[in-house]
Amino acid sequence: MLSTRLLTKRYGSLTAVEELDLEVGGGELFGFLGPNGAGKTTTIKMLVGLLRPTSGSARVAGIDIRAEPEKAKARIGYVPDAATLYDKLSAREFLEFSGDLYHVERRLRDRRIDALLKLFDLHERANDFLSGYSRGMRQKVSLAAALLHDPQVLFLDEPTVGLDPQSARQMKDILQDLCKEGKTVFVSTHILEIAERMCTRLAIINRGRLVAMGSLQELRHMVGQDGQSLEQIFLELTGSREDDVSAVLRGLES
Amino acid sequence: MTSAPCCVASKANPIAGVAGGLGVGLLLWRAQLQMFINQTVGSRKPGRIVGSVVGAAVIVLAWTWEAIITWVGVQASHRTSVSIDTVHLLSLAFLGYTGVLVFSSLVFSLNALLLNPDLDLLLAAPHPVESVLAGRMVVQVLRLLLLSLLFTGPALLALAVANSNPLIPLVFAALYLLYPVFVVVIISVLSLLLVRFIPVGRGREILTLFGVAIAIGINLLNFLINPALRDSGFSRRPGVPPALPDVPAASAPWLPSGWAGRSAAAILRGDWTVATEWALLLLAMSAAIFVVGTILSGRLYLAGWIQAVPPRRRQSTTRRLDAALPLLSPVLASIVIKDWRMRTRDLAQLVRFVMPVVFIFLIFGLRFSRLLDAVRGLGEGPAAAMLALLPAWVLLLSLSISLGLTAVSLEGKSIWVYAASPNTTLRFLQGKCWSVALPTAFLVAVVALVAEILIRPGWLWAATAILLAIAQAATITTLMVAIGAVFARFDWTDARRMMHPLGVFIGMGLFFIVTGASALLLGISLALAGATGFPTFTTWLAAITISVGGGVAAAALGLLIGNERLRSLELG
Repeated sequence: MLSTRLLTKRYGSLTAVEELDLEVGGGELFGFLGPNGAGKTTTIKMLVGLLRPTSGSARVAGIDIRAEPEKAKARIGYVPDAATLYDKLSAREFLEFSGDLYHVERRLRDRRIDALLKLFDLHERANDFLSGYSRGMRQKVSLAAALLHDPQVLFLDEPTVGLDPQSARQMKDILQDLCKEGKTVFVSTHILEIAERMCTRLAIINRGRLVAMGSLQELRHMVGQDGQSLEQIFLELTGSREDDVSAVLRGLES
Repeated sequence: MTSAPCCVASKANPIAGVAGGLGVGLLLWRAQLQMFINQTVGSRKPGRIVGSVVGAAVIVLAWTWEAIITWVGVQASHRTSVSIDTVHLLSLAFLGYTGVLVFSSLVFSLNALLLNPDLDLLLAAPHPVESVLAGRMVVQVLRLLLLSLLFTGPALLALAVANSNPLIPLVFAALYLLYPVFVVVIISVLSLLLVRFIPVGRGREILTLFGVAIAIGINLLNFLINPALRDSGFSRRPGVPPALPDVPAASAPWLPSGWAGRSAAAILRGDWTVATEWALLLLAMSAAIFVVGTILSGRLYLAGWIQAVPPRRRQSTTRRLDAALPLLSPVLASIVIKDWRMRTRDLAQLVRFVMPVVFIFLIFGLRFSRLLDAVRGLGEGPAAAMLALLPAWVLLLSLSISLGLTAVSLEGKSIWVYAASPNTTLRFLQGKCWSVALPTAFLVAVVALVAEILIRPGWLWAATAILLAIAQAATITTLMVAIGAVFARFDWTDARRMMHPLGVFIGMGLFFIVTGASALLLGISLALAGATGFPTFTTWLAAITISVGGGVAAAALGLLIGNERLRSLELG
């Protein structure tokens, strides 16, 4: 459903993503992990067609995103981190706009909007301007817009940031339901606990390079210690800084 | 509701808070200077660096010009005996400056309280609230000092050289520093009270409305009191020569403008003792008001600075606009509808839309009867029909610039919504062209129709002229959208800053080329008909066809260039 081959993005002398090879199948809930600045958002933006790779290729739903971007985008849903929405539109109007952009037939669009607004508990404030929405509510609107055209692959960049525990749980359930329907969900997150419980497979990226990919069990084998938590594996693979942190804190105290 | 963030209250010594304000103010000033440098010469972006250098060169040129004019004025005053009441003239200047101070301080204070996020950051720091509020006043005073020196510095240096008195720039600089203090403090305190009556989330709108009121007020005042405009404006009193407006109380010894005027006049005639005396009086008053105002601001803030008016909830019924544009594809229609909603709901955008129309009525309305008589005097025919298009062309210039150039940038950071959708950039540009061309063409057509009805050049001439105006509205707005795409700015939410200065320059240039070429072609067609004996209407139609064809070609080319530019951008 999703594959990349030697996918690379450079900004001048800075290499944000380097020769990334990924394979994600249909119905998978794939977790994409990495420290700040590791290249997660850049990778997702390349996969949804917002950034052009410097080299390498990416196929989403069997379509080359560089060769046929419009065709691929019609099959993709995308939820950015801290989505900037149109402040002077209401949630319903924004979803109508999104539906039209994705060529959803209008009666079907309106039915789906009603259902999604209810699902995300937004129906009571559906006519309020988005400028008055909290970050979590905007995130929900963003996710509703991404689901409106029934995409085959859903990309979510830090989807749980700003959500209350109840909404985060609800989002987790929705994503798992989508996977059961055979759709692919590609999630980047910092919250390892969520990734550990939700994802069928995981990839860890550090400084633009893929350092590990597989199920949680496979990652445990990779670091050679069964029973380790994802947090421990993550720190092991991305370079633990515990000693450095303690040294700096001691320096601040003196 | 927005409430005062947690901050440190100065319980022990409010004066310490006031003194701390100077420190905070200088700290803020340094940070703002650093940001200015980072965004200009320190940006490492060639375009910005060149822009900064060009800006600096323009300032130096203006300074040179100002110094020369001052020098010539001084020499002229030495040669002719003109008696001028310097005290009154300078007091009047300071009183006029007070108006500028009130306006700029109100905008600055409301901006600081309602829109700028840095106030929360400052209040969270371990400074008394008085220090933070005083710090902001200090920044405003320093900013005004810098602007005053920027505008009058060369003149002051020229005066110092001409009068062999190096104290002139120093005393004026001291007056520039002290005079704004009382205005800035009073306005800051009033702003804290005013904020209570501004609904939550409507700060930007209120500031825009305020700006519009000021703009109209300034223009109206200018029209009423500027001798150059007044005499040909509402009425002219026969036999009365034009004169500057006067406020006799400006130089009164009980007004700060009188103190500043006396100090400035004294140093110009070389009497530094008197100059110092009046400046010291201003210093004492400014210091007292600064201390009292700062303490009062702190008390007001801690008493519950809050936007107490809740936001209005929108009605649950939404207008369905989907069916309004049945001939457009859903993607194009959705862009047109979204842009219409954004423009009409955001007051700052709405002002850009409405103000040109208001000014058209002001400009043409005030001279209406004379203009109408002059054009009607031409009788029926193509010349009158063409001249009747003038208001429509002025409106087209204004709307195409304000709406067309901002059409693409209007998306701002939300551009990702479109970029992630399965549509090409050309489709996006088409949608933008429709969203600008539809309202512009409609308004231009209405203005052209009204003008043609009033002038009555003959229905055939009028109909073709109106069609030309509509066609030009469509082609020129398309051209402007394309230029806006080439110079797109997605980082700005302010309607003014969405327009790139170079884009405005090119857009205006192309507008005048396209409309000028049209007018020229129409003129040539009339001359050709007169010289060759061809039917005038035939040559007129031919000229209109060529004119519209040329406009369409220019717009199409512009659209292709704009599309290439958008395609080359990474809009994530």
